[in-house]
Amino acid sequence: MSDREIDEVLQKAAERPHGLEPALLDRIADSAKSSLQPVRPLPATWVLVSGVVLICATAAVAGAARAGFYGIEQLSLMERALIFPTLGILMWVAGTSFVNEMIPGSRRRVTPGGLLELSFVALLGLFALLFHDYRADHFVHAGIVCLFAGVLHATPAAFFSWLLLRRGFAVNSIAAGLVAGTLGGLAGVTMLELHCANLQAPHILIWHTAVVPVSGVMGALVAWLIRMARTS
Amino acid sequence: MLMARYQQGDFGAATALIDHISPQLHRFFVVQFASRADADDLLQETWLRIHKVRHTYRPGEPVLPWFYAIARHVRVDHYRRAVRTRAREQTLEQIAKSASASWGEPVHDDTLATLLAPLPESQREVIEMLKVAGMSLEEVARATSTSVGSVKQKVHRAYKKLRERMIALGLKKRESGELS
Repeated sequence: MSDREIDEVLQKAAERPHGLEPALLDRIADSAKSSLQPVRPLPATWVLVSGVVLICATAAVAGAARAGFYGIEQLSLMERALIFPTLGILMWVAGTSFVNEMIPGSRRRVTPGGLLELSFVALLGLFALLFHDYRADHFVHAGIVCLFAGVLHATPAAFFSWLLLRRGFAVNSIAAGLVAGTLGGLAGVTMLELHCANLQAPHILIWHTAVVPVSGVMGALVAWLIRMARTS
Repeated sequence: MLMARYQQGDFGAATALIDHISPQLHRFFVVQFASRADADDLLQETWLRIHKVRHTYRPGEPVLPWFYAIARHVRVDHYRRAVRTRAREQTLEQIAKSASASWGEPVHDDTLATLLAPLPESQREVIEMLKVAGMSLEEVARATSTSVGSVKQKVHRAYKKLRERMIALGLKKRESGELS
C-alpha cells in the first residue's frame, strides 16, 4: 500500500460529515460579539527581544553597581572581550526563545531544554578555556555566596522579562518558565562576572555556571506551581 | 486578512473566521478521542481563548499554526482537568474500547477518528493537521512547538502503522472471502 493510497483513505474519511451544529457556531459568534473591541497586536519579535535583553542587562549592571565592579577590574581585556559578548549572544538567543514561547504558533528554533544545555555548555567551555588557576580556596562557602547572588539577580530579570511579555500567551507554561529562568540565569552570571573577583577556575566553572541551570529549574518549578494553582 | 480585521473589531470577519476554522478544530478534537459533546465544549473553550488572546497573532504570520497551538493547549488543559477530577479512568476505558473496536472494523466504513485510533496522540494530531487540515510541515512544526524533522519522523512512523493496519485488514477480508 503506497503513501498516496493512505492519503486517499484519509481524505475520504475526512470528507465524511462529522456533525458540527450551526447553532454552536452561532453561539460562539454571539459570545464573541459582546466583547469585540479592537486590539493592538504585539510588537515585532526583535522589539520584544531587545526589551527583554535590556531588562536582563540592567538587572546585571544594577546588581554589580550596588555590590562593586571588582570582577571586571580583575579580568584581562581578552577575557572581557570573550565573556561579555558571549553572554550577550546567549541572552539574545534566550530572549528570542522566550518571546517565541509567549506567542502561539511561533517557530521554535531551539527547545527550552536545548537552550539550557547550550547556555550551560557554552559558558562551561568558555570559562574552561579562559581560567587556569586551579586552586579552590573556600570553595563551598564562596561558591554558595556567588550562587545565591546569581540566583538573586536572576529572579528580578526573569520576573520583569515576563512582565514585559505578559500580554503574550504561553501554550506551554512550564517550557516558558524554563526559558525565563534560563534567561534570568544568564543575567545572574553576567552580574557575577562583573562583580566577583574570584578568578579560580573551580569556583567559576562550578558555582557561576550553576546559576543558569538552577534558575532555569526554578523558573520551570514556579510555572508548574502556578499552573497547578490555576487548574485545581 | 480576516484575522487583521477580527483584531480591529470587525464582527463580519470574526463570524467568517468562526465559520471557516471551527469545522477543522472540531474535527481535531474529535480525532483526539473526544466525544462529540466534549468536542463541542472544547471548541467553545478554544474560541473563548482565541478571543482573549487575539492580540498575540501578528499579521503576516501563518494563521493556522496559531489557531492549532491554542487548540492543543485547550485540549491538554481539558485532559489535565479531567485527570484531576478522577475522570481519567473512565476516559482511558473509552479510549481502549474505541481503539480495540476499530481494529476489527473495515477501513472504508470508518470515520477519521476510528481510522487514526491505533496511533499515539502525538502522531494522530500531526496526521490530522498535515493531511486533513492541509497544513505544511513547517506549519505543523510551529503548531506543535517541535522541529520539522520531528514532524517528518512522526508522519513516517504513523504511515508505517497505518500501512500495516490497512494491509492486515485487507488480508483479513481476503481470508474471510476465501473461507466463505
